[in-house]
Amino acid sequence: MKAFDYAAPTSVADALKLMEPPHTAALSGGTDLINRMKDYVSSPERVVYLKDIDALESIESSSKGVSIGAGATLAALLEHGEIKKTYPSLWKAAYEVATPQIRNMATVGGNLLQRPRCWYYRAGNGLLALKDGKSLVREGDNRFHAIFMTDGDALFVNPSSLAVPLIALGAKATILGPKGERTVPVAELYRVPKGSQERELTVQHGEILTKVVVPATHAKNASYEARHKQAHDWPLALASVALEMDGQKVGSARVVLGAVAPVPLRSEAAEKAIEGKALNHESATAAGDAAVKDAKPLSMNAYKVQLTKVAVKRALLAAVGDRYWEEG
Amino acid sequence: MAAWPKEPRLIGTKVPRLDGLAKASGKAKYPSDVRPEGTLFGVVLYSPHANATVKSIDTAAAEKMPGVKGIVVIAGQGKKLRFQGDDIAIVAAETEEQARDAVRAIKVDYEVLPHCVTESQSMDEKAPQVFDGGNVRKARAIVKGKPEEALEKADVVVEGTYSLPVITHVCLEPHGLTAQAEGSSKITAWASTQAVTVVAGELAGSFNISPADVTVLTEVMGGGFGSKFGADIWGRTAAELSKKCGGRPVKVFLDRAQEHLAAGNRPSATGHVKLGASKDGKLVAMIAETYGTGGVRGGSNFPLPYVYDLKNSSRAHAEVSVNAGGARAMRAPGHPQGCAIMEAALDDLAAKLGMDPVEIRVKNLAEVDNVRGGRQGETINRTPMYEAQLKLGAELIGWRDKYKPRGENGKGVVKRGLGVALHQWGGGGAADKQVSCTINPDGSVEIKSATQDIGTGARTILAMITAEVLGLKPTDIKSNIGNSTFPPGQSSGGSTTTPSMSPPCLAAATQARAAFFNKIAPALSTDAETLSLKDGQVWVNGEPTMSWKDACRKLGMASISETGKFADGLSSVGVGGCQFAEVEVDTETGVVRVKKIVAIQDSGLIIDKLTWESQVYGGVIGGLNYGLFEERVMDPTTGVMLNPDMELYKLAGASDIPEIIVRAYETEEMKNRGVIGVGEPPTIATAAAIANAVANAIGVRVPDWPMSPRNVLNALASKEGKA
Ligand SMILES: Cc1cc2nc3c(=O)[nH]c(=O)nc-3n(C[C@H](O)[C@H](O)[C@H](O)COP(=O)(O)OP(=O)(O)OC[C@H]3O[C@@H](n4cnc5c(N)ncnc54)[C@H](O)[C@@H]3O)c2cc1C
Repeated sequence: MKAFDYAAPTSVADALKLMEPPHTAALSGGTDLINRMKDYVSSPERVVYLKDIDALESIESSSKGVSIGAGATLAALLEHGEIKKTYPSLWKAAYEVATPQIRNMATVGGNLLQRPRCWYYRAGNGLLALKDGKSLVREGDNRFHAIFMTDGDALFVNPSSLAVPLIALGAKATILGPKGERTVPVAELYRVPKGSQERELTVQHGEILTKVVVPATHAKNASYEARHKQAHDWPLALASVALEMDGQKVGSARVVLGAVAPVPLRSEAAEKAIEGKALNHESATAAGDAAVKDAKPLSMNAYKVQLTKVAVKRALLAAVGDRYWEEG
Repeated sequence: MAAWPKEPRLIGTKVPRLDGLAKASGKAKYPSDVRPEGTLFGVVLYSPHANATVKSIDTAAAEKMPGVKGIVVIAGQGKKLRFQGDDIAIVAAETEEQARDAVRAIKVDYEVLPHCVTESQSMDEKAPQVFDGGNVRKARAIVKGKPEEALEKADVVVEGTYSLPVITHVCLEPHGLTAQAEGSSKITAWASTQAVTVVAGELAGSFNISPADVTVLTEVMGGGFGSKFGADIWGRTAAELSKKCGGRPVKVFLDRAQEHLAAGNRPSATGHVKLGASKDGKLVAMIAETYGTGGVRGGSNFPLPYVYDLKNSSRAHAEVSVNAGGARAMRAPGHPQGCAIMEAALDDLAAKLGMDPVEIRVKNLAEVDNVRGGRQGETINRTPMYEAQLKLGAELIGWRDKYKPRGENGKGVVKRGLGVALHQWGGGGAADKQVSCTINPDGSVEIKSATQDIGTGARTILAMITAEVLGLKPTDIKSNIGNSTFPPGQSSGGSTTTPSMSPPCLAAATQARAAFFNKIAPALSTDAETLSLKDGQVWVNGEPTMSWKDACRKLGMASISETGKFADGLSSVGVGGCQFAEVEVDTETGVVRVKKIVAIQDSGLIIDKLTWESQVYGGVIGGLNYGLFEERVMDPTTGVMLNPDMELYKLAGASDIPEIIVRAYETEEMKNRGVIGVGEPPTIATAAAIANAVANAIGVRVPDWPMSPRNVLNALASKEGKA
């Protein structure tokens, strides 16, 4: 990797001063950034280590919800009783991330702001992997790539497992920058880059993500991840749902898809399909089908359409305690 | 005549590895851990292109970088680079970081040429040539009997195309060595190798010195699987750099990406197979057209037909060259591919006939399938062995209760299935290896040989044999291997280490014991014939008389040292084996979970039951990876490997490992054959058995390995006519 300056401030204010754009990177658990630096995919001139800042680490729950510091590790998140009880969709998604070793290092902030794992991007072809005007992804091996929004050039998938339930749960992220603080819905951390110069993240160089607040909820919520291996592996498709029940029926629903588009994708079609319905195999299957109505797979990933359908169906049923696939 | 003891105390028991604690605790120094005083770090510059010519190379800037002590250019101006990962130059510097920076400062001007990195690209008529003379070398078909005619008369015929991808060895310790030159006349190297002797020979060759002036040390090492026989260009260059740098040690070990790219792989295999049988399930003919790629090195051929008796067969294989790293031997070269394709076709045939898969296998074993017995000239028929093994395996997997015909595995979304596959291997010994055994006056015992332990337990096995003969504990023996200057030892390939090394070890210990008895008998006022050794005691006429240590003191100043040679009757060759798999397939997600594997394996006389079982477990886990996960993914456009890591190059983690039941098929008849190697056979049938279990579960063949959600869902979709 390229040699760099290193700073390890102990306060957010000091960190902000050190985070001079454009060639500075925040370092949390390092499980993403360091790999990119070793592979020369990212070569910051200064690295600002955020994990010495105690204020970023806390997880606090109140009647309004739970506030999760950007520096909280995934392991800490998993140990938090309130999260496991009230936000099983978030707990489960975090539980299925990588390995215990990585979860001990990886932070919530780093997870949300990690860069795509697209193997063309990681091989140094740029985020959009365009070569001579052609998409390497489209022409090449796209088995793990997007099946939604594939008319554009951004064919990678958003890698964050946590973003998916957080969006379903209506969480908001707080960002601190030279110009002050702003709070945005987690979904707005992401965008589809329009050109090679644009990042897929809306957080600007020089800004720090400080916390994520998940509102209090009575919603039944769950996540389902389809993946190849049992041990550490990336989701091939991930769905999180949050359902406000109206008696036996679903009042309002949030359905969010991960690992299938360049951003975590809300599926309004699936939401509509399930709202006003009693939740059962038939309605869950219909919602899964609705979720993939607009899918346009690439040359090698049609199988992900099926996986997305099933992920939505299973997340919905899991939310009401039906895990039929575990019964055989 | 040398013979294995009839009533052994140690042989056949479970003895933990002598170096197990050191390895598990991190105390053991692997070759890549060794850093002699003054070590320089070497880093390889390799080709980023799949096909290119070096137009020019300029190392001037790199040479001036901080810490740089030497650069050797491997591919100079005009040299062809045939795959991503092909070596260009190596830089030695004071630190690894400095060497990495300097590698990036070497300026290479490439003429980038068109490439083909996949078989389909390479087989295209308009494909650029990987080598002059064409990308596809098709060998003439090997024909036995009259396959076409026989197939026409067959009652049932199945036809299918099956394929297995290229996989890589993924040795946990990468390839490499640290070399230290003493002027131009001597070299010491700490090498991660499965053949200290071969590495010594290669280093000697490139320095034009005698192999006796080269010392290659491999105390322990972290996996080779067939890919670590030589010094490689990296190792030879490390030695050259050491010489250039005034004798400072130079350490060159590959990184993970280079391991995948340049350090070997198992070739792919695709087979278009027609297999016919009569109504009763007896095979009548097979016609197979196959191809595979060993990258730029070839070697993709594999045995087919495999195991079963076919009176009529035709087999044509084509070697396809691609611009990708060259194949190297990998744990039972060729057999896993041949086994997977044969067993898949046979299972599809059984399904079509509505026949039980175990039954069809028994039915198609050759009447006589002779392999070597215990002595030259003696034979053993493998067919009844296979039958007994299948019976045992079927019992252990619960075949009778659990087996349901293909596609009849329940109504839920998760289907269970069972599968079975058979394999065979050689595993015999070389007859020219030696072991020395030294008994010292202080009671210590040391054996020496220029072999090495690639994980099979060689060190422990040799100590056990010696301890058996001398009435000591294995931990009493200094088992000294992994040094090329010791008496000639076997290279660890072809499952030959234990069968090659056990006989001379037994001979050395037996000779040393005889010499010892002769020496101490007078001091004990008895004849040598009255002496025996047991429990660390010297026994006279069956009575414990003196401790081993005290007896050794009677040797005075002189140690006893004997060198043992190979003798017939102590080892043999030719094994069979079978494996059963039970899987669960989620038909909605295509996710396969292996629940249980049963592995039955013969290998003659087993020395250490514990390391023997470890070999089988390891073989099964390797086979499970081949069956479920592994695949080298090449990008057709840029010509590079897309998953040169351990993340998207998928390998099982602990939670992917099923219950594994290992059973030795070790009858008296087998024991009498003597020692046979076991490193390779137990990895052959696993991927085949898993795929058959998947087909059994979901009612449709998944023709492409690995059994990934993508391949399984695609097969299910094609069954429903959606493909
Ligand atoms: C084998 C493997 C499997 C994995 N599987 C999954 C999976 O299934 N799902 C999943 O979601 N992830 C998975 N991961 C990725 C892992 O979760 C992320 O690498 C990790 O969460 C990143 O967190 P970190 O703290 O280490 O981030 P870092 O590497 O420290 O940072 C990541 C990025 O975020 C920026 N950053 C970090 N903190 C802040 C902050 N507070 N403010 C502003 N910018 C910041 C950094 O500059 C960097 O660009 C896997 C990783 C591996 C190696």
